[in-house]
Amino acid sequence: MGMRHVFGASLLSLAVATGGAFAQELQIGNEDWWKEAGAKFDGVTLRGVTESTPPSNFISDVLAPKFEELTGIRVDVETTSWDQMYDKAIKDMEAGTGIYDMIYIEQDIVYAYMARNFLVDLTKALADKPDLKAANYDEANFTTFADNFRGANGELYGVPMEAFIKVYLYRTDLFNDPEVQAAFKEKTGKDLAPATNHADYAEIAQFFTQWGKDKGLDLWGTTAQAHTGHPASWYEFFESVAPTYGVYNWGIDAANNYAASVENGGTMNSPESKEALKWWLSMRDIAPPESVQSTWTEVATTFAAGRAAQGLVYGENAAWIASDESKSKVVGNVGVALPPMQDGILEQVEGGTGYIGYYDGGAFGLPVTSKNQDAALLFLQFMALPEVQEEWAVAAPRITLTSTYDSPKVAELNTELGGYYDMLKDQGYLFKGAPEYPFHAQVREATAPIFYDILTGKIGPDEGLDQMAAKAEEELTSLGYRK
Amino acid sequence: MQSRKLGWLLLAPTLAVLFLFGVVPFFYVIYVAFHQWNPFAANPEMIFNGADNFRQVVFDAGFLASLGVTMAFVFFAVLTELIIGYLLAQAFMKDFPGKAIFRTIHTLPLIMAPIIVGSIWKLMTTPSIGIIPHLLDSWFGYDLNIGQSAGAAFAITVIMDVWHWTPLVTLTLIAALVSLPPDPFEQAQIDGANKRQIFWHITLPMIAPAVVATVFIRLMDALRTVDEVLMLTGGGPGSATRYVGVHIFKEVFPRTNYGYGSAVSVIVLYLTIVVCWLLYVGMLAPRNTKKG
Repeated sequence: MGMRHVFGASLLSLAVATGGAFAQELQIGNEDWWKEAGAKFDGVTLRGVTESTPPSNFISDVLAPKFEELTGIRVDVETTSWDQMYDKAIKDMEAGTGIYDMIYIEQDIVYAYMARNFLVDLTKALADKPDLKAANYDEANFTTFADNFRGANGELYGVPMEAFIKVYLYRTDLFNDPEVQAAFKEKTGKDLAPATNHADYAEIAQFFTQWGKDKGLDLWGTTAQAHTGHPASWYEFFESVAPTYGVYNWGIDAANNYAASVENGGTMNSPESKEALKWWLSMRDIAPPESVQSTWTEVATTFAAGRAAQGLVYGENAAWIASDESKSKVVGNVGVALPPMQDGILEQVEGGTGYIGYYDGGAFGLPVTSKNQDAALLFLQFMALPEVQEEWAVAAPRITLTSTYDSPKVAELNTELGGYYDMLKDQGYLFKGAPEYPFHAQVREATAPIFYDILTGKIGPDEGLDQMAAKAEEELTSLGYRK
Repeated sequence: MQSRKLGWLLLAPTLAVLFLFGVVPFFYVIYVAFHQWNPFAANPEMIFNGADNFRQVVFDAGFLASLGVTMAFVFFAVLTELIIGYLLAQAFMKDFPGKAIFRTIHTLPLIMAPIIVGSIWKLMTTPSIGIIPHLLDSWFGYDLNIGQSAGAAFAITVIMDVWHWTPLVTLTLIAALVSLPPDPFEQAQIDGANKRQIFWHITLPMIAPAVVATVFIRLMDALRTVDEVLMLTGGGPGSATRYVGVHIFKEVFPRTNYGYGSAVSVIVLYLTIVVCWLLYVGMLAPRNTKKG
């Protein structure tokens, strides 16, 4: 017990010390302006709520103390679980209690918040109050990911604070191993290289699963985010796999009266969707056994533990898998590539139709119910200063400003991450966040139980997708979107 | 008269808190249950829809399936806790070396938050890294995967609940056993009654009120299990462990289906009262009739 206390205290000290060190390293331009701007809010405490992730922890551990040091405005940021974060934020805004001055908005829920007018138009607020506008804050500096948080006229409703793409990770040590390469060539007649299409991906996955079995290794050919009771599996299929078969926006056609079924003009149960699901299920079957209990977090730990040769992994995890020796066994052995896709999809996407995978991330927004909106505006701008973003990108790999790509520190990290930042910068446009639906969680939760039944084999993929399409339309009708 | 006023005055803060945090939310849930209300619908306002939500609940296959597995969960969990709890309580009535340490360790799960319990069991049951699948595989060649096997997931949720709550049953039954007068037992022994007869005809009837109270507490708790199961299985695989608490959680929180979720809550509350009443009648009424 004593040792545990010592260990816990050491961790805490390390966390505080690390946060403190970063806070000291942060050099903010025009400090006098910040001091002057903050002086008007003497005694104000800002409260925020966010999901407990490395980027969010950087806000609470580093940015908040530095901002308080500069302006005198205290910032308390609650970092909690994904579900709790939504629960707290939505209840606060729904009831109008005004507890929170800043809330984390994941990209997939921003449209629901905007539809309910929960958020302050930051562009307008800063235009109306020029004395609160920081010189070094520039909306135009945001990457295109910020477009997810803009209204119809380009007005910004959230300051992006994290942005990742879900990429295809593979083990370079295995892919470059001559013995493995020879065995693969002998078995398939092909050279071993990261897959560009589903057939090749499946072949590689089958090869490595068999290789692991033959050699007595804890190694499988692919990861699978295939939890049988958590929406993570639903997301992997609809946001990462189905698009690579040409099924976009969950197969719901918003322009066609929110049709989901083929019968009504949707694609949720289209032949492509069914083919995609069957392919993904076949990959799940040769993935590590923990896959049926894996969300995005467990997929990352599976890959980091060296248990999978390749897989689709969220970028927020790709960074630590590739670089953090305290958590990952595959540091220095991680390659990054675009997800495998059907023939013609890349051309289609480059032509402006659809997307090949998920662009994940979130922003900090200002609820209209906040009682400290002006002070919160200052903090939101502070988060988006180029000098802050550079340190943030190194501490918790994510990029939301175009200028951050030019930082030498970021360039160095990019090499370590196998070119992940290059991909984010140059090919990020091929990826897309969740569709612009105000009913995101509602349709997901209505259809998820059927999806879980498909995963357990209770119903077949064809029949299951038919049921899901019908259920989605039923839910959309009940919510009043589908007429 | 004055002391009566003083009594009410002293009770007033407690009553006010109870009213605010117990009575008001209760009636608010009933009120919401008669409305269609989803803040993310095209019309986010509350719309009175009579008993539509209740009608929907009755015909909702998902809810009925959830109710079925919940009843099975409650039956197996509470019965097992009662049996093991009684046996442990009897064991703790006797002296043995290390009794104090064992009793303390045995009580530790009680002080753990359900979400922590769920996390611990998730770690212990995750294939490849969990100690339980590892041991089952090494000893019996059994491949435990609660993400795949509905039966295994159900069994593990029952075992987790038993692990968490049996100490409560043990403690309440120890309290009941300690308070029993020795005379009836001595007389029964003199009359030549064996252990089984003593248990059925003396011990059990005398501790019946404590047993009933314990069963009620555990029954009500088990019927509203959410955190542990949500953390362990998320209600899966499929809907194998989507107990009513989990079902309500998923309807109310992620799906924000407040009207329907409230109606389910009211129905579940009603069912809980009915089950408790049936148990009360079944367990205590025969005893009272005999007395009469």
